[in-house]
Amino acid sequence: MKITTTIFFIFCLLFIATAWIGFTPAKTHPLQFTVPKGWQQPVYDFNSNPVTEEGFQLGRKLFYDGRLSKDGNFPCASCHQQFAAFATYDHSLSHGFNNTFTKRNAPPLFNLAWQKEFMWDGGINHLDLQPLAPLTDSNEMAETIDDVLKKIKADTAYKRMFKAAFGDDMINTQRLTKALSQFIVMMVSTNSKYDRVMRGEDSFNLPQRLGYEIFKKKCAGCHTEPMFTDYSYRNVGLPADSILNDNGRMKITQNAADSLKFKVPTLRNAQQTFPYMHDGRFYSLMEVFNFYRNNVVQSATTDSLFKHGMPLSNYEIGQLTAFIYTLTDSSFLNDKRFAPPERQTFMQHQH
Amino acid sequence: MEECYSGQTAQSRKTAMQHLCTSAFAPHSYTVQECDATADAIKIKSRAHKKILLLIIIIFLSLHSIAQQKITLSFKNVVADKLLNTDSNYTNQFGETFKVRNFKYYISNIVLKDAVSNRSQLINDYFLIDEKIDTSKTIVLTTSLQQITGIEFLLGVDSMKNVSGVQTGSLDPENGMFWTWNTGYVMAKLEGSSPAAKTPAHAFSYHIGGYKKEEEAARKISLSFKEAVNNTNKIIITADVLKWFSAVHDIKIADIAFCHEPGKLAMQLADNYATMFSIAIEK
Repeated sequence: MKITTTIFFIFCLLFIATAWIGFTPAKTHPLQFTVPKGWQQPVYDFNSNPVTEEGFQLGRKLFYDGRLSKDGNFPCASCHQQFAAFATYDHSLSHGFNNTFTKRNAPPLFNLAWQKEFMWDGGINHLDLQPLAPLTDSNEMAETIDDVLKKIKADTAYKRMFKAAFGDDMINTQRLTKALSQFIVMMVSTNSKYDRVMRGEDSFNLPQRLGYEIFKKKCAGCHTEPMFTDYSYRNVGLPADSILNDNGRMKITQNAADSLKFKVPTLRNAQQTFPYMHDGRFYSLMEVFNFYRNNVVQSATTDSLFKHGMPLSNYEIGQLTAFIYTLTDSSFLNDKRFAPPERQTFMQHQH
Repeated sequence: MEECYSGQTAQSRKTAMQHLCTSAFAPHSYTVQECDATADAIKIKSRAHKKILLLIIIIFLSLHSIAQQKITLSFKNVVADKLLNTDSNYTNQFGETFKVRNFKYYISNIVLKDAVSNRSQLINDYFLIDEKIDTSKTIVLTTSLQQITGIEFLLGVDSMKNVSGVQTGSLDPENGMFWTWNTGYVMAKLEGSSPAAKTPAHAFSYHIGGYKKEEEAARKISLSFKEAVNNTNKIIITADVLKWFSAVHDIKIADIAFCHEPGKLAMQLADNYATMFSIAIEK
């Protein structure tokens, strides 16, 4: 009896063992997402899309791949350039398929794990969904999801990478966008001089310190630390452009009270993200300050904080500029993990 | 183990054990008597095991047979009393002639009910009924209910799936029933042409969606049978395109040829399509 039980037991073990071998996916290498000290917990649901080295590298390849656009010329990275903190450098509006322009200024990409709604009007409610808008818009990448999937499925390198990231080589919209999210959520900008000062590792010089005091009094109501935005939608009193005719948030909510409101942009890396405002109409911080002190248009939806414009002296503008430049995070702008994959293939083997 | 021996007699089993003991295990000082005792123990135990096994099989089979109740829902798209064809002309309540090029809608959150208010839910199933794809028009459900008296479902996709990122299967944004610029599913889509439409190529197109408060375009549909249905029946659900133009609200193609965003108009069209279903049984 004992022996037969033993034999039976061994059979069972063998059976379980073979099942284990058969169903265990190739091992992935989890990447740590670190929440900087003093920051809130991210809103992105990492449980439904755990970041791995394999998923990150796949997302990186997709981000820089022109095949995601109709004619191959417009990868995500064509409008989101690392040296511009992943905005479009020196462009009010970005170039799209067939000599078109976008209708709004490309926002920089970083700290998106903390953001609930995307686009200047907040129309998109999930980071995973965000890439589908530029991908399919006729004046951006102008491609269909179907065709993108076809092109990617035809590439054996992608098949390999999807298998490494997700366990098998099935390629669908969900996996494509999850991989892009894995790359994008890891873009965290938290090492500017401002951050180092807050951590007690550095100190402001006099203009920076004075600028910070003025900032806390006059700007922090909307550009709230540490993200330098409160993610609200506001009309700062910009006169509407008669060609673009952009109502902003109202397009999403259908509510007249939201007319001309746009998401408060972060000021992190602002030195690199010029031109400014939702349509990129101001090419320098000086122009922005001049607008706030002289040209705020009062209308039914102009934010109450601007009911009397925003008085700023030349002195204050000088100090504020000095402070805003402390928000430039050069380690993020040069972080090789986010550079095009061709130049950095060795990264894949660093664990 | 039990199954291996079940076809054999106790005697042959005993012999087999003796053979095993004397040949394979002889070096380990087993005697024939010990083997006999072991074989008897197996015999007694295996009887008990047999009974347990039989019991398990009976339970399993009975559970299995309950789970196996199948109900077929068959969707039939019509224009009033005529079957919908994408190459035919029809006339709506306002005398406007029209053709339908595309007709799609989501069905989800299906609940089957019986006379004693038992409910059988299929929460995670989402179906995209597409006029152009015949296989999309048949849904086979399994239920534990014996006699079905009614069916409830959502025409559209619940708000939860509108706020949870990119989905797969019938909910894949690839299916073209999803707005990328203002997140949300198109719950139902009716596209075609009409001489009455004052638009390029006389096209009309209603993409109806919206999941937020005061923009909801999904509609709960509740249909009852006159007599109870059992699982051998096929349920025919008829969707009448004409109801889009006039049911709760009047929508003339001449006035409104396009609806492509959530809001008041979308909800009016949703109120109309909420009335488009009727139900019948095919025995």
